[in-house]
Amino acid sequence: MAIVGEWIRRLGYLLRRDAHEDELRREMEAHRAQMGEPPAFGNTLRLREEARDAWGWTWLDDIVADTRFAWRTLRHSPGFALTAVVTLALGIGVNIGMFSFVNGLLLRPLYANADEVVVLDIDSTTPSGEGRDFSYPNYRDVQEATTDIFASLAAYATDFVGLDAGDGARRALASAITGNYFQVFSAPPAHGRSFTAEEDRPGAGIRVAIISYPLWEQLGSDPDTLGRLVRINGELFTVVGVAPRGFAGMSIPGPEVWLPLGTDGIFSAGNAERRTFGSREAHALNVVGRLRSGIPEQTAEAAVATVGRRLEQAFPAINAGYAIDLSRPSGPRLMFMPGAGRGAFAGLALLLMLMPVVVLLVACLNLADLLLARGHVRRQELAIRSSLGGGRSRLVRQLLTEGLLLALAGGAVGLWLSTWATKTLVASLRPALPVAVSLPDVSLDWRALLGTMAFSLLATLVFGAGPALALTRRAAAADLKRHTGDEGHRPGGVRIGNALVIAQIALSLLLLSSGGLFMMSAIGAATADPGFRLDGKLIVQVDPGLAGYDEARGRQAHLALIDRLRTVPGVEAVTIGSRLAFTAYGDSRDVAPSGAADPQSSSVDAAFSVVGRDYARVLGLPMLAGRDFSDAELSRGSGERVAIIDDVLAEALWPGEYALGRLIQFLDAEGPEARQPILVVGILPAVKHSPGNPRPSGHVYVPLGQHYESAMTLVLRVAGEEGERAMLGTVARVVRDVDERLPILSVATWRDHRDADLDVLVLRAGAGVFSTFGGIALLLAVLGVYGVKSYVVSRRTREFGIRIAIGAYPRALLWQVLREGGRITAIGIGIGLLLAVGAGQFLQGILYGVNSIEPIVLVTAPLILLAASLLASYIPALRATRVDPTVALRSE
Amino acid sequence: MPRDTGLPPGTLMMLVLRVLKTQPLHGYAIAQRIHLLSAEELSVEEGSLYPALQKLLVKGWVTAAWRESESGRQVREYRITPSGRRELEAEVAEYRRMANAIGVLLDEA
Repeated sequence: MAIVGEWIRRLGYLLRRDAHEDELRREMEAHRAQMGEPPAFGNTLRLREEARDAWGWTWLDDIVADTRFAWRTLRHSPGFALTAVVTLALGIGVNIGMFSFVNGLLLRPLYANADEVVVLDIDSTTPSGEGRDFSYPNYRDVQEATTDIFASLAAYATDFVGLDAGDGARRALASAITGNYFQVFSAPPAHGRSFTAEEDRPGAGIRVAIISYPLWEQLGSDPDTLGRLVRINGELFTVVGVAPRGFAGMSIPGPEVWLPLGTDGIFSAGNAERRTFGSREAHALNVVGRLRSGIPEQTAEAAVATVGRRLEQAFPAINAGYAIDLSRPSGPRLMFMPGAGRGAFAGLALLLMLMPVVVLLVACLNLADLLLARGHVRRQELAIRSSLGGGRSRLVRQLLTEGLLLALAGGAVGLWLSTWATKTLVASLRPALPVAVSLPDVSLDWRALLGTMAFSLLATLVFGAGPALALTRRAAAADLKRHTGDEGHRPGGVRIGNALVIAQIALSLLLLSSGGLFMMSAIGAATADPGFRLDGKLIVQVDPGLAGYDEARGRQAHLALIDRLRTVPGVEAVTIGSRLAFTAYGDSRDVAPSGAADPQSSSVDAAFSVVGRDYARVLGLPMLAGRDFSDAELSRGSGERVAIIDDVLAEALWPGEYALGRLIQFLDAEGPEARQPILVVGILPAVKHSPGNPRPSGHVYVPLGQHYESAMTLVLRVAGEEGERAMLGTVARVVRDVDERLPILSVATWRDHRDADLDVLVLRAGAGVFSTFGGIALLLAVLGVYGVKSYVVSRRTREFGIRIAIGAYPRALLWQVLREGGRITAIGIGIGLLLAVGAGQFLQGILYGVNSIEPIVLVTAPLILLAASLLASYIPALRATRVDPTVALRSE
Repeated sequence: MPRDTGLPPGTLMMLVLRVLKTQPLHGYAIAQRIHLLSAEELSVEEGSLYPALQKLLVKGWVTAAWRESESGRQVREYRITPSGRRELEAEVAEYRRMANAIGVLLDEA
């Protein structure tokens, strides 16, 4: 208690210290007056200071004084202060930005109560060996038996649906859920309501939906959105709720729309096994629950295991081997990674996380440079201060305060920069995903703030304390005697400075050349020749299966669309195909010669397309040999199996031989197609399958009559190649008029569709990010060159003055400084080239169509650096030639 | 740092509390009183007195108030608080114990 009272009195003193000061002064005056002659009372100022110490606030006074002094000092060298702040801000900003991004995507819990949420898994397979989830009746039995364990236990299933929120139908991620789903995550809808028990019941068919927060924002953040109609898989649903902001469910990306389990006839319409959630045999649901408070995980685990065994006994035929497991949600949170098949995304992600670290490294090197140069300039000042009685600890504290001030300013600006960086990153990622998705909140959180503080403090300690200790260690007398002009003869500091600049230049070159490789790959993808003309073509992607159409109705819908679109004025020809040429995604088959002795070893993986009439003609592909499919082959139930293959596949199957009239088989096909001999009736030229992949792989086409595919793409060739975009509106309207319920996934020009291709987007994002980071590093390196050169020139003012006085040509001095700048740049570039080639080796595995040694990149990037760094040395060099000899010599 | 008072360290605060125990006094009077009571053996310099008084204020052992002195002068008078009295007792006891121990040691030598 005494201590508390003491602190209250101390604080009281702090708040009224002026009054206290005044009192003390008056008191001492009174004392002095009473003493009479002679006034033996000492220096009152000093006495007051000593008396003041009793209150214990001296440290605060020192900090205030140090900060004020640091502020004044920095204001006197605004160039240094600005450079240091900008350097730190860039280094910290890109790192915090990247951290927020990674944090939002990978680290931050997806929902607030992550520690209470558990998932239930079935740790067994069906007798036929397939994995299974929960059926609705099984889920309900588990739920009823564990009401004392789980506060809420929800079931859900996730699938793609055709969603039309008023802007045309597209593919979107959706979850069918039980009404208590949002309760599990303690995340009640931001607007409206959750689903009711009646809506949950499988087969109820009550068409209500909850939309994601981003979708709500996309619809104008309108409170009247509740009650609005959206079309899902061709059916109209009423929006009754908006999911909470930043909530994306159990994985990234999260669903855009949530439906009640009772709409199971519409949800997953294309997936026959999932059509009915009501059956005990439909093991299609995932189960997630929130534990009641105080229930340990082991208790819950035992409880669900017991229920699992009971279910197995009660329904031995259906639930054989049923074992329910309980676990924390973990594992990969990213549901699908674009391009994951060839590791492009994973590699890119790794690079994305490494790049900011390199930028920070460059920034730190630059800061070290600046402080080193400044330290030498200030050596004399420090010597004077220490000889006037400034203790070493006081001087170190002073220097650290200065560094801390810089670091805090840099951190603050960096924080501001980072919000911009995060936004840019998210924006660059969003279109790179195959569907429009809701991403979780990636805004700053306390971790990022903490990270900023840590970065700032670390930078201060490493780059502030080092010079501070080194500088104050020196004997004052030695520095006092030394003329500033002599510094030029002590090359130690300069040599370290040069080494730092060389490292900066090398790292900048690494970033720049990596950016260059991405850019080349992106340009290559954008200008790649697909093997046919993209211009003058529109595509319409439809999927009748999403609206619950069976094969007969689906075929009907496809044909109706072709017939109707053919009559639209301006449309010259229409065809249809299952796999759109020139995209990386689509069906494929293992093709082998029929009757081969060892079909597996001779098989070739080829893209697989079901095509309609005139497919090759509409795309503009000339038939190399054989014929197109006949009308009989194109209509349903045709007899003989036929296929058209491209020359790449023909060459792969029968190298150097004639392929026409031979038989092939599909090794991995199921049903009637399996291992059936298929006659090759035509050979087409190769088309590319992806803008990012310059090498076409094989392609096999089968006629519409032979295979049904619900998701198809119509290709329209329009008259007048420039007018294609103008026709989009007409075509979209016509398509809707043909069948309002038909899920349309996209209506676009083929060129726009290509530009939205994932490979193209990934390359563009990579080029953008690398160039930005490279640019930042370049800027920092140039600042570094400028800083070191300026420092060297100012140290050698006397030397230059003397040389000019005895008749040196200014041009010679200019060249000398430039040459020295050029030399360290050249060394930096040399090291940087080695790093760049190494990075190229790595990128070669990720990027198509580039080599680790790309002459254009390896020449252009160093030239940019060289030019920038020469420019940076030119200004100090010019200053060297303008040294006035009389002034330089008088400064002695 | 307070200059040398000729007093063992820490005893000045005890002496100040001691002279304030009988009556409230201002700074100059405290110095005078200590001088008088010690038969002019001890003299307290201002440089030591005021830091000591500030410390006593921080600790809450004395309070201070302005008052008009008999000579019509504004003076700041210090008054011992109950916790100051307790502190004085404790310190006097402690000092006696120490002085005894030292005395015994010196006598035996």
